[in-house]
Amino acid sequence: MSVSVVALIAATGVLVVAAAYTAGRLGHASAPWADRMYWLGQSLILAPVAARLFSRRALTPGETLTLIVILTVAEYLVKVCYSPTSFTYVDELMHWRTTADILQTGKLFTVNNLLPISPYYPGLEEVTSALASITGLSIFPCGLIVAGVAHLMFVCVLYVLFRHVSGSHRIAGIAVLVYASSSLFQSFDSMFVYQTLAVPFLGLTVLAVWRLASPKTVGNRVGWFTVAVLSALATVVTHHVTSYLLVATLEVITLGSLLAGDRASAAWASLLALVSAAAFAAWIVFVAPSTVGYLQPAVQGALDGVRTLLTGGHSSAPPPTSAASGPLGNRVLAGVAVLTMSALLPIGWWQVWRRYRRQSWVVALAIGSVSWYFIVAVRLAVADGSELAGRASTFVFVPAAFIAALAVYRLIGSALRWRFISSALRWRAPAVVAAAVVGALVLVFDGLANGWPPYWERLPGPYQVAGVERSVGPEQLASANWALAALGPGNRIATDIGDMSVLGSYGDQTPILDVSSLYISPTFTTAAAQRVQTESVGFVLVDRRLSEQLPASGQYFSDDPQAGHYTHPLPLAGLTKFDHVPGVARIYDSGNIVIYNLLGSQYYGS
Amino acid sequence: MAHSQTDVAVTAAVAVVACGAAASGAPTAVMIVLGIALFAAPGYLLSQLLLSARIAGLERVAVATGLALCVPILGGVLLNAAGVPLHRPAWLGLIAGLTLVGDVAVFVRRRVGRAAPFTWRPRRIRLAPWHAAAFAAAVLVAAGGLGLARVGAAIQPQPGFTQLWLSTRYAKDHIAQLGVTNDQGSATRYRLVLLRNSHVSETWNLTLADGQTWQRTVPFSANDKLAANLYRPPDLTHPYRYVATYSTTAPRS
Repeated sequence: MSVSVVALIAATGVLVVAAAYTAGRLGHASAPWADRMYWLGQSLILAPVAARLFSRRALTPGETLTLIVILTVAEYLVKVCYSPTSFTYVDELMHWRTTADILQTGKLFTVNNLLPISPYYPGLEEVTSALASITGLSIFPCGLIVAGVAHLMFVCVLYVLFRHVSGSHRIAGIAVLVYASSSLFQSFDSMFVYQTLAVPFLGLTVLAVWRLASPKTVGNRVGWFTVAVLSALATVVTHHVTSYLLVATLEVITLGSLLAGDRASAAWASLLALVSAAAFAAWIVFVAPSTVGYLQPAVQGALDGVRTLLTGGHSSAPPPTSAASGPLGNRVLAGVAVLTMSALLPIGWWQVWRRYRRQSWVVALAIGSVSWYFIVAVRLAVADGSELAGRASTFVFVPAAFIAALAVYRLIGSALRWRFISSALRWRAPAVVAAAVVGALVLVFDGLANGWPPYWERLPGPYQVAGVERSVGPEQLASANWALAALGPGNRIATDIGDMSVLGSYGDQTPILDVSSLYISPTFTTAAAQRVQTESVGFVLVDRRLSEQLPASGQYFSDDPQAGHYTHPLPLAGLTKFDHVPGVARIYDSGNIVIYNLLGSQYYGS
Repeated sequence: MAHSQTDVAVTAAVAVVACGAAASGAPTAVMIVLGIALFAAPGYLLSQLLLSARIAGLERVAVATGLALCVPILGGVLLNAAGVPLHRPAWLGLIAGLTLVGDVAVFVRRRVGRAAPFTWRPRRIRLAPWHAAAFAAAVLVAAGGLGLARVGAAIQPQPGFTQLWLSTRYAKDHIAQLGVTNDQGSATRYRLVLLRNSHVSETWNLTLADGQTWQRTVPFSANDKLAANLYRPPDLTHPYRYVATYSTTAPRS
């Protein structure tokens, strides 16, 4: 099968997935045939690429590169087809807000009520607003261009690094294919979010370090050092966690280089780690001191979970959206994928020991790949572990994919030399390749099934209460736009999780997250009044559909103590009681959505 | 102009033409092409300055892309620190200015022999006609997928709705904003009744096209309690939507 045919089949896969999405929008989102159509499309994208990478036919470096570009572009187009006319994912909406603010004010570091840390890492928004300013395009197409270019650039940098380190373009291609099984490859890593742009800069910094440490780079080190420093600075300006992980990555490379006796590599990696750490620290101190407070709860939560895990205790249950409580098929897929990767890594380490133990970067990748088992433990045993593991997979999969690729390459080669296969190579080799393709599909399908969007929003479709993209509809957009126009920006508004992202982004309001008690009680209570005063809630947005459907995500509110335990929709009386509370003004009504003004009402003792 | 400086001339021309086009209010289609070319220019020139000629292919493209993206990221921070508003003139000045500076630097380095001259030797890619046709078909099919997704989003059934509001944002000025927007998907008739202290103050019969908005400012005094009921004829009994300032009861008809 030629690469051009692979491209055509993958494009057909994109078309089939788009047809499945259209079926979902036209009311068949829950139909099994529409779901199967989605998986058929994904198979058409993935299977030919995997088959060509694993096949025994000669593959040129150009063909390998073309294959990974086909894979990356096709999966990106699938992501675009999900939301083809506007951003709908909550994180994308957060960055849309910051970009819009830069375009409107001409200033960085504006206020973002939905994601307050975002304006202090404005790299993505700077590039997008510059492109929008110069071309005259709106934020959405510019965001798609920037995110798409960044995602493709990251995959290409990854491929170049893997090729340099392994000396084999086929291993590099297989490693990228395995990397594509990261649960966020097709979604979060190519979304209009700051990490999407920061990650390629991390890769570029590491690539520059590889070049600096390479004996062949004599005489051109100033140039590569400049590239490394500029990339590290761009990482720091663009995303906090990626900046931290850039330093960690360079330290792991230093460690691997020291173990392999490669002093040049260790020196350059540690020097760039120092530069990156200094730049990150300076940015936090002088520009973004709120970073510490933003990251501290997440880090503390993860550490507490791990501590509980290590001491033999039980962490609280993962949220209902995690793979652990998804459909049986998803759980089986997750189990098989985890076992497959967990089995491949030791084989890869064995290959490292046998063939690469003097190669510092391969040793560093082997060290880094240990983190795979760490995120498996987090995924299975820590509260909210699925999300943490998913977020970490963008980084953890880099070394893990490379080591797994060494194992896969070795296994395919060994299998073809087994006597019972080599005696009838022509007939039995395709079975070996087919087995490898099935293995790759299991890994990537696990990433898709247990990644994003969640299984209950696999296909776009009609409005869902407390969903994600499917909670973004015309009525939400209208109410958010009205709130900005009529009330001005930054008002503190109590709202449910489904309306929160639109109200905070397009509406530029400050959604109050911990307000479930305000909605559940059927009458006015002094406890609710105290909550309103404590949180300085000025307005309440009520979506009557909360009384008609159970929450798709398992929770009606962003901070919801009843998450995962709802058996009935919220009582209507709890939503309509504001009509009867003295002093509360009903200022907006669009049928499903009503906005109340609490200022001057009984909630404030008036 | 020597052949070895062709790229310098092209990037300089892109910078100048993009600025000229922006100043003359060129249409968006033109600015898209020029803007993307301008975005790429400093990355290309920086890669010429920083990388040896031996770095080729994908690696050079990746580094040039990264450097191109670094320009608005780091340059934007510096401009913001200098108090320059980040609007179109600033971005154009930054990127076009850096492009011209890069042009001069590359030009000088080549003249003094410290950089390799520009050469354009595209590898002859032997692509059989049917391979080219398959790639072209792939692009068309993928574009068809995107088109289908957009059409699907456009024809997705969405329940119609009508927005009614009575906002007292400027209450201290004793002015309220009363408005209706029709998002029912077709022209719709309404009757809007404004109540002042529970008495009918004004009535409007409206016919709004899909997407059309009707608005009025309503003066009120400190003791006034305003409410508005919106009806959809022929049902003039049950309010279709209602809003009220400081209401203490359910809707009245």
